[in-house]
Amino acid sequence: MIKQIFKPTLLLFVLHVICVSCTKEVDFNQINDLEINPVIESSIFYFDAAAGDFIIGSSDEFSTPPEFIIIDIFNNQFVKDNLIKAELLFETVNSINRAYQVQVDFFDNANQLRHTFTFSTEASTTNDDLTNQYLEVFEGDALINLKQTTKLAFTLTMLPGAPINTSTQGRIHLESKGTFYLKIER
Amino acid sequence: MKKFSYLLSLITCLAFGQNKQILYGFSEIPQSLMQNPGGEVTNDWYLGIPLLSHIHTNAGSSGISVYDLFAADGLDFNSKLENAIYRLKDNDFFAVNQQIEILSGGFAFGSGFEKNEYLSFGVYQEFDFISYFPKDYAILAYEGNQNNINRLFDASDVNISGELLSVWHVGYNKKVNDNFTFGIRGKVYSSIINANSTKNEGSFITRTGQNNFYNHIFNLDLELRTSGLSSLIEDENSDPKNDVKELKKRFLLGGNLGLGFDIGFTKKITDQWTFDASLLDVGFIRHSKDVENYKVEGVYEFEGVDPIFYESDQGQTADDYWSDIEEDFEELFKVDSTQSKYTTWRPAKLNASLNYAFGKKIDKACNCIQEESDYLNAVGMQLYAISRPKQPQLALTAYYYRRLFNGLSAKATYTIDSYSFKNVGLGVSANIGGMNFYIMADNFLEYQNIYNAQSVSLQLGFNYIFNKNED
Repeated sequence: MIKQIFKPTLLLFVLHVICVSCTKEVDFNQINDLEINPVIESSIFYFDAAAGDFIIGSSDEFSTPPEFIIIDIFNNQFVKDNLIKAELLFETVNSINRAYQVQVDFFDNANQLRHTFTFSTEASTTNDDLTNQYLEVFEGDALINLKQTTKLAFTLTMLPGAPINTSTQGRIHLESKGTFYLKIER
Repeated sequence: MKKFSYLLSLITCLAFGQNKQILYGFSEIPQSLMQNPGGEVTNDWYLGIPLLSHIHTNAGSSGISVYDLFAADGLDFNSKLENAIYRLKDNDFFAVNQQIEILSGGFAFGSGFEKNEYLSFGVYQEFDFISYFPKDYAILAYEGNQNNINRLFDASDVNISGELLSVWHVGYNKKVNDNFTFGIRGKVYSSIINANSTKNEGSFITRTGQNNFYNHIFNLDLELRTSGLSSLIEDENSDPKNDVKELKKRFLLGGNLGLGFDIGFTKKITDQWTFDASLLDVGFIRHSKDVENYKVEGVYEFEGVDPIFYESDQGQTADDYWSDIEEDFEELFKVDSTQSKYTTWRPAKLNASLNYAFGKKIDKACNCIQEESDYLNAVGMQLYAISRPKQPQLALTAYYYRRLFNGLSAKATYTIDSYSFKNVGLGVSANIGGMNFYIMADNFLEYQNIYNAQSVSLQLGFNYIFNKNED
């Protein structure tokens, strides 16, 4: 008798434990709150040149022609959706006794200028290293314009000053990096 | 019905792990021969109830539970996610294993009076999946590289493998004498779908540069190998009926085939002490049909662009120069697909246990021990190991077995493994007439909140058994 009752009871008990094991409340919809904020840094432009490199023919009125670089990173859909802020940091080290200016232009598909900035470096009268930093921040309208950019032009212009010849001392060194703040949401 | 659907969802959603510590050595259950082909056989013949003779699911996550991440506790989901990302290690894994026996049976034979040989056979479907936590990828995606200058991101952190297959097997078991039994089982595998990416190499690092702020160094050698997948994804006739037909064909030995074996033995050391061991799924599958592999390979360093003094000796414009760099990047991340055949090894499993049997039945009539009867209790220790892509996983189980009545026995286990240090399991096997039913599950301590369990395992089944020593 006991045997007969016991068998089904035990089985039922085991089944019960398995079927109605308790759960505390979980909420899988929390996945919709997912938000990650990676910050990516990347090298961008650089160059390193001695004073003599700036002599073109007999002229020292050096200015690079604005050559275009077609770039499709900024208007790619992922960047458009998730980039919330960008910064470009330039660092120049000048030991030439001549000031110069860097200009970066941002053009869209229709060749419209969407954004531009310039920065300049003083002449190094003693040929010591003069270090300068320049930070361009893209937020708000500037960020919208950045996301429309498909072409970049980088122009280096020597500002008026002491003439440069083959014996002119010093170098110009430029480094730059971009910092891209992303906000990726589900 | 509700309970049934709950049970089904439990089976399908929460099945993890391959260790069948409760079933191992549980000789009343015919399927224990699948855990040790050299185990003791207690029946004369049996037939598994088709599709119901062995249903097994096991799922586990070694570092985190569902509850850790999704508890409705009002805490910010993103901070829980952040905790998880930093806490999990690259050796933590998520694993699922599921099996359904389609058919199985066995019968004793032999020339002597006591039939001492046993043949068992069957076919089952298995799904096996393991993914390690891709820690470095997660950190890179979560933080970006800004906070990780000079940190090497290891590309091998992606390690994932999954397979759906059918297994056709025949096993032979021989009781050589009262003290020694051995067995072997041959297996033919028919892989239905396989995908694996387990041999990735390389790294990504952002270092302080020579010419610019940073030097970004990519060194990638990544590969995903698949078989049986591309024809299902790419077929133009999207009629699922055709896919089902194709899957059936592959199940019936029309997939990518492989061979393997199980071996095992049981050795009685004394009347009460027994040692047994088995090695399972020593085998391979050769993937030659419907293979599609995807490979990303390349080394590239990027320090930035020189917009003025780029090497314009070939009359390059700045844009040509930039285009070259873009092409280099595209080349680096370009996915090459190949149809190279490949071989996978099945996850081999090792079981070994030492048993001590004690306590004979007391005859109420004479109030004395029935010397001729079998022992009613057993305790023992069992070691389990399984080969996995990164490193073997181990589990150690202590157990207590008790024969409650004729035809009803139970086993309780306490297991230490990658998931938990306190995994309590319970199993029962009941014979009612010729019908055998068994059910076993583990992680009972977590049943107050199943979502907090890092692993769940369940096996159940129905057999028709004809016992030789039926009272």
